[in-house]
Amino acid sequence: MSDGHRAAYVAFDRFPSAKGSAVHIRHMAAELFDRYGGGLLCVLGGGELPAYQREGGVEIVRFTGVVPNLLDRAEAFTRWVAEQLAPHRDTLELCHVRDPWSALPVTGRMVYEANGLPSIELPYAWPLVAPATLAKIRDLERDCLSRAAAVVVPSYVIEKAVIDRGAAPDRVHLIPNGADPVPAGLPRPPAAPGRYLIYVGALQAWQGVDVLLRAFARLADLTDLALVVCSSVSPNRARPLRRLAERLGVGDRVVWQYTLPHEEVAAWLANAELSIAPLTASPRNLDQGCSPIKVWESMAAGTPVVASDLPVTREVLGEHGRFVPPDRPAELARAIRVLLEYPEAAQELAARARPRVLAWSDVRHRLAAVYDQVELH
Amino acid sequence: MTPCTVTTGFFTLGKCGVMAVAGCAACGRALCANHVTPGGLCPECAAARNQVGHPAAASAFRRRAHRQRTSQAYQDYGWYTSFDSYDRAPFDPGMGADQDYLDDGPGALVDS
Repeated sequence: MSDGHRAAYVAFDRFPSAKGSAVHIRHMAAELFDRYGGGLLCVLGGGELPAYQREGGVEIVRFTGVVPNLLDRAEAFTRWVAEQLAPHRDTLELCHVRDPWSALPVTGRMVYEANGLPSIELPYAWPLVAPATLAKIRDLERDCLSRAAAVVVPSYVIEKAVIDRGAAPDRVHLIPNGADPVPAGLPRPPAAPGRYLIYVGALQAWQGVDVLLRAFARLADLTDLALVVCSSVSPNRARPLRRLAERLGVGDRVVWQYTLPHEEVAAWLANAELSIAPLTASPRNLDQGCSPIKVWESMAAGTPVVASDLPVTREVLGEHGRFVPPDRPAELARAIRVLLEYPEAAQELAARARPRVLAWSDVRHRLAAVYDQVELH
Repeated sequence: MTPCTVTTGFFTLGKCGVMAVAGCAACGRALCANHVTPGGLCPECAAARNQVGHPAAASAFRRRAHRQRTSQAYQDYGWYTSFDSYDRAPFDPGMGADQDYLDDGPGALVDS
């Protein structure tokens, strides 16, 4: 058909949102649509998001069906994507997908951007899921990854995980996440406390925010120090952690910020004493891997990072962060205390980490090189 | 005795096994009297030539057409395992570790 799109970007993620995944989608989809003169963006909707938008050459369609069961929802999304792609089947040259639910209906050339593996992440939120079901989801991932013309991953750990799941090693491309440079001297946010540690991100169990709260409780003698949690999810989902903070007796010293617009987060990061990435030693971080945008953005903001000692954080920070054994509140508290005692050393650490950060424009160039390669074959 | 090697059955597939009386003119497989099509071909070869007069050739033709159609159309999800009620049950609302984790406002979706 004459007005068919040449490219499509499909994600079982809400877009836009306050989550790091939305930042990623924005940059990756922009590269795809710039290259093909527009395209079709299929994502999750909900809330106030419109079901349909046309922005220049880009058509945005959002799945708005309310399906309570996640597996049913994923399958309904797959069917919906199939319907969205069908009118463009004669013109589509490339589909860029982020998960197996999006990849299933694609029969043409596909770039699979693997940021996570549902067979590893799902049991965290749905602990009763059976091993046999996870095996089916693993098969599904294997099927989609082996069909992809290229697989884009943000870290070595995920690279290994997708190769284990059937992706051809020569088709896997490592493109780390990025963060745009933060200008010096960003004004302190009006709601910011005097001296504060900061955690930015979602609140799933694997993020280790509970470990951070327990560590913060051990810093009770530092009465001028606050902890800011910039949660990318709603207050509802933070309720268990707020209750934990109350029980630990630090409820009044923790400042909660919810779903801040992404452009406001940089000022919170830049004015913090330290940024904490307390990731746990869980299969999600050790077997699946990640490339935490919170760490990249802290480095770009020039804020020293204290992180759990995991391959994924070593990969991002190199030697330029303070590493602590994961899941050890006492160790984390001690590392924070040491860096607060030696601010010059902490600033030096941050200054050395800053040049490691890729700007999103660099990330986009690397993605463009992958598209070049895919188009040649 | 040479048995007929045409695949038969509906729920459970197996070989026909009746005594063969001829060989397929195209692929040479052994055929019983019931499975020789008017052109002297086995049902599969007849279906490949769009000769679907024989009942077995007609079903072979339909199977072939279905595979061809579903492998080309976007409606084909390309994955032949499906989730059953045992797989689905743990994903029902309320089965999560914490209901708060799932609740993102009325009518909202939990994303990946």
